[in-house]
Amino acid sequence: MKLRMVKIKLSEDLKEEMKKLREEIESLKEKLREATEEKLRRGRGIYIDIGNRVHDYVEDVMEGVAEGIHGELEKSIFIGPRGVRIFRRKGEPYEREDEVEVSFPRVAEVMSALGQEHRLRILNELMSGGKYINELQEKLSEITASTLSSHLKVLEDAGLVVQEKVRGRYLITMPGRTAYKMARRVTRFLERRNQE
Amino acid sequence: MMWQDYQLDNTTLKANEVIRLWGADKGVIEIGKDTLAIPIRLGDQRRGYIFHGHGKLILDTIVETEEGAIGKPVEKEINEPFLMLGDTEKVQKRLTTTSKEDLTKMGYENQQEFVAKAEDLYHRFFERGRTFRHRRSGEDHGLVFAFQNKASKLDILVVKGSKLVYKATGIVFVANENKVVLKSPKEVVLSRSGKLFVIKT
Repeated sequence: MKLRMVKIKLSEDLKEEMKKLREEIESLKEKLREATEEKLRRGRGIYIDIGNRVHDYVEDVMEGVAEGIHGELEKSIFIGPRGVRIFRRKGEPYEREDEVEVSFPRVAEVMSALGQEHRLRILNELMSGGKYINELQEKLSEITASTLSSHLKVLEDAGLVVQEKVRGRYLITMPGRTAYKMARRVTRFLERRNQE
Repeated sequence: MMWQDYQLDNTTLKANEVIRLWGADKGVIEIGKDTLAIPIRLGDQRRGYIFHGHGKLILDTIVETEEGAIGKPVEKEINEPFLMLGDTEKVQKRLTTTSKEDLTKMGYENQQEFVAKAEDLYHRFFERGRTFRHRRSGEDHGLVFAFQNKASKLDILVVKGSKLVYKATGIVFVANENKVVLKSPKEVVLSRSGKLFVIKT
């Protein structure tokens, strides 16, 4: 019963958020329209530049996505600072996480990526935000540059880290964060059990 | 009000060095040396090009959130003709005239063959009602790119300052100041002012 109340509250929050988002988009579009009309009134030649069209396009896509979110709201996943909440339509079959097929090699790949102290320390550094390789090298000075690169490659291959191709920063992915937290929780749990 | 249409030139040019057509925090587009080019004119001014050579497109279509990063970079070699509209001043200076040999290198027997291929792309881009127009002042208007994909459709990239829209098969990525949208076949991710929505589709 308590869970149901939480679900309804969060759903209302989302609806409210989407309403605000749509209102903001409408207001921005109105401002843009006014600005364009003003420019046209000044009559300085050829108007409606690519820039405006970019803006229109961006806003159209944002609005389209916002509409999509509203329509799909009841079966969406909301991820906020307090964690993940899964919403689904009444009567829709619920797919339990432990029923989702995951191959053993894939499990082994992820667990193996986590099963190394330096790699866990890399993930720990990335938990506070994206970092360049020299920043990681500074924080993990006991690891050589080549070892650091190979650890990052393992983490990337496992999908726990992603590297920006332009700036070169390394970012922890959403699954990477979850896996790192899970590894710590399991360890804490085992340690408590051992102490009992 | 006076409207003018874009027209394809019949001059064939080539890049005399590697040219970065666009570069920002989120992406880069470069063309290699000897890439062929046909100018696109708006009145008497060059407002774009159709290029054919060896280039690359890199786009970091990643949404960075407090819950972790979502998405992965797009990295593509550009070996098919593609279109660019926007400020051409920097590019113009680094293009020179072509010889028959330059055309042969790209697999064309003569200039007409390249022009015909460029025309095909030009018509496919403009026939869909995309009537981009420019102001005459020297302001930054942004850039529009159209790439042919494997399904013979056009992947579109529009950039202006920090704003970016990329629409390709299976992906839509929009970055606009504090808002980012990433749409893939599996999910739609909307990040706005630190708040994040993910919809599994």
